[in-house]
Amino acid sequence: MSYLEYSVKTVPSGLRKVLYLSWPLVLLLTAVASVGFLMLYSVAGGSFSPWAEPQMKRYLLGLTAMFLVAMVPIWFWRNMAVVAYLVSLALLVVVEFFGSVGMGAQRWIDLGFFRLQPSELMKVTMVMLLAAYYDWLPIRKTSGILWVLLPVILIMAPTFLVLTQPDLGTAILLVVGGGLMMFLAGVHWAYFATVITAGVGFVATVLKSRGTDWQMLKEYQFRRIDTFLDPNSDPLGAGYHITQAKIAMGSGGWTGRGFMQGTQSRLNFLPEKHTDFIFNTLAEEFGFIGAVSLLALYVLIIVFCIISALQNRDRFSSLLILGVGLTFFLYFAVNMSMVMGLAPVVGVPLPLVSYGGSAMLVLMVAFGLVQSAHIHRPR
Amino acid sequence: MIRTPLRPLARILEARQKGENPDAIVRENLRIRHEQMRDRARNRAEGRLLVLGVMFFCAFSVIGVRMGVLANSEPSEPRAQVAGASIIAQRADIVDRRGRILATNMDTYSLYAHPQQMIDREKAIKELVRIFPELNEDRLRKDFSGPRKFLWVRKKLSPEQKQEVHDIGEPGLLFGPREMRLYPNGHLAAHVLGGSGFGREGVHSAEVVGTAGIEKFFDEELRNPAREGAALELSIDLTIQAAMERVLDGGMRLMNAKGAAAVLMDVHTGEVIAISSLPDFDPNDRPANPTKGSPSDSPLFNRAVQGVYELGSTFKIFAASQAMELGLVTPDTVIDTSPPFKIGGFKISEFNGKNYGVQTVEGIMVHSSNRGTGKIALAIGPQRQQEFLESLGFFKPTGLEIVEAAGGKPLLPKKWTDLSTVTISYGHGLSASPLHLAAGYAAIANGGHTVTPTLLKQSRPQLGPRVMSEATAASARVMLRKVVTEGTASFGDVPGYSVGGKTGTADKPKENGGGYYKDKVIATFATMFPTTDPKYVLILTLDEPSENSGDKPRRTAGWTAVPVAAELIGRVAPLLGLRPEVEPLQQAPIVLSRN
Repeated sequence: MSYLEYSVKTVPSGLRKVLYLSWPLVLLLTAVASVGFLMLYSVAGGSFSPWAEPQMKRYLLGLTAMFLVAMVPIWFWRNMAVVAYLVSLALLVVVEFFGSVGMGAQRWIDLGFFRLQPSELMKVTMVMLLAAYYDWLPIRKTSGILWVLLPVILIMAPTFLVLTQPDLGTAILLVVGGGLMMFLAGVHWAYFATVITAGVGFVATVLKSRGTDWQMLKEYQFRRIDTFLDPNSDPLGAGYHITQAKIAMGSGGWTGRGFMQGTQSRLNFLPEKHTDFIFNTLAEEFGFIGAVSLLALYVLIIVFCIISALQNRDRFSSLLILGVGLTFFLYFAVNMSMVMGLAPVVGVPLPLVSYGGSAMLVLMVAFGLVQSAHIHRPR
Repeated sequence: MIRTPLRPLARILEARQKGENPDAIVRENLRIRHEQMRDRARNRAEGRLLVLGVMFFCAFSVIGVRMGVLANSEPSEPRAQVAGASIIAQRADIVDRRGRILATNMDTYSLYAHPQQMIDREKAIKELVRIFPELNEDRLRKDFSGPRKFLWVRKKLSPEQKQEVHDIGEPGLLFGPREMRLYPNGHLAAHVLGGSGFGREGVHSAEVVGTAGIEKFFDEELRNPAREGAALELSIDLTIQAAMERVLDGGMRLMNAKGAAAVLMDVHTGEVIAISSLPDFDPNDRPANPTKGSPSDSPLFNRAVQGVYELGSTFKIFAASQAMELGLVTPDTVIDTSPPFKIGGFKISEFNGKNYGVQTVEGIMVHSSNRGTGKIALAIGPQRQQEFLESLGFFKPTGLEIVEAAGGKPLLPKKWTDLSTVTISYGHGLSASPLHLAAGYAAIANGGHTVTPTLLKQSRPQLGPRVMSEATAASARVMLRKVVTEGTASFGDVPGYSVGGKTGTADKPKENGGGYYKDKVIATFATMFPTTDPKYVLILTLDEPSENSGDKPRRTAGWTAVPVAAELIGRVAPLLGLRPEVEPLQQAPIVLSRN
């Protein structure tokens, strides 16, 4: 149900909008980010440099961006969805050819003061585009085969570009996030059932073929898959990260070793301790209680998103809010599963906590959109 | 689904009767329909959201439970190795034809320093110099006190050295695991293996890359993980190779030669069973490429494959074979070898100005007459001679599977005149490597088929196209046998193995052009055994030999290369599993000394 059917007059205007912001959400985000500052301070050995201070600056920048985005009416953002998507897609193509190379993967565009990861940007602009698409599409057409195919193409195009970088983690987030958006928009469940069955069947066939005459992959490729799925089989090689991460969590126990007392992380056993594996530092220093508390903060943010989406009668707004919530959820769910050895290590940061510019800024802008939808909801 | 029509006729008629606008009814119905649709969509969306909510909840629960499990777990150090895990070397081994290791990998450590993290630099420097005497103390001091944060100290450490460095107790000295290439046999087959070095180097590992020989030729293949560590099987037989190098080294010293090369090849498969070039080197510690002097005198130079020489009279048998094959001569055709024989203004002479008079073709071979062979070659003509030599492989590099083989490019005359035809027929004016010669002799030995020299083990004969008939090859072999029994290679007879072959002594050309040395020769003996049914050819070349036991130095192949080759054949033939053909020796009567 599009905005045109409601009177814009019921929406707050001018500075009054600040009063209609969801301040609890701002508070929750700040709380999560603060956990991040604390941990970055700790892994640097009790020092604001090199990580905690820039992270704080970025958070303030992100907060400002969130407010600015929130002040702009949500219908403007809906109209910008296609443009935003195309721009991020173009940036992905640019990074493919001109980007800087880091850690064996090509992901950034160096803007001088800041390294932009277009794949992070893509996560939000794709949510915007899909929300706008299903807002525009008459509901009875939602499950038409052509109308299903179009968003699939819109999802696969950036996914393909991200995969060639190569960045498996982001590619998975894009596909799963986009798929769930389509699910929420009401695409017939049979499509999902077909895709999931086909996918599972294909993987099963490939794995089953091992050791037979028609085996589809070389033996060493199978071994790589083994290590990928079960890092324990190679504790000093590919499984090193995960083994150390689990030791860190185990040594934290229920109450933790105490702030700045984590040995695994402070003594450099834990790789990527300030980015993807920061959760283990938290678990080591504050134990189960600390880890569950962070999880609870995340849950509250998700719950907020769901409630806000249910309250919102505008289809674009509610889909957008759910999409952002979903992306956020996928981020931390994948990261936590990964560092706890539940899922293969694919390189997804812990949202708002891991050290990193693009992800932080993009998420704050995304929550700016959520705030905008919240402020400008039809009443 | 029954839809309420937008314009229900009954109501519209009723409204018209009442004088109301029927459009209101349409709008009313449209609104109701929209609301129904919206409600349905909303219900559906909420249903979907519920499904998603359940998924969220499950995910949260799983993560929460996992946290609890991990929090409850005992932290334990990972074991260094999971039992039964297979360790696959990064680079495949190289083995000989019987599976004995020629090249393998060994785990070792590199030593590097973080000077900024050092506690007691002076002590570290002193200790390092003590452990590695080759390090320069002042240099180390300069490096360690400079601004550099990282520097390599040693690329490979022995376990003892590692322990000693460890005992310094300096945290700024660190070890990185390394895999290094090891050639357990040292010098053996050095020129085949070549050597290897480190490619891209990191602290935690380094890439081993082939730098020469077969290691470089098959570098990609050896590193290919799809091999799964399967060893590369060579045609080389380590035992034969060892015997060859031993005999060749002794022969080289005895004949005062500055270099020597030998090739032993299976005539049916083209497999190189042993190949050696002296002087050689240790591939474990491959010397740097020479910067001065002639590169062809360097130990790194492979005389058997890279070195192209005028191989002298060994070539004569090719002219004889081709003439027989073309039907121009038979072994008994009589040719006058008396002087003068002039061609293109040049006088062709014999060794030491001898005159062999009227000879059969067989006699020409046995006495190694230049004039006789030249006349046969003239009858063949330049065109046919070129075709024949090209078919035997004398026109391009041998293609042996070591990188150096590409450098063994034969030198051909710019213009193939009649004079070239004559001189080439006795091995001057065309330079080729000993390996080329081995391939050419193999064609005679195996009954007329070309073979391609290879270093890879073959499971079946690899005969190429036929270049001469069985009968021609057999006649040629009879001649070669007679060279040994009656001719220039009489020292080459090895009782029981029916050796046949041809000697060749070529004056060395001066390096800067302008004629030939009078006192420097390349002496070659090209041989096959047993001539009754040849299985192997052996080419043995000595560079600048000089046999000094007589009153003046003797340099011809018959006095130098031939005895060395005979010694070699006597040594390797039993190792190759060939049975001697002689009658059993007269056994001494048994004497009972005590009764």
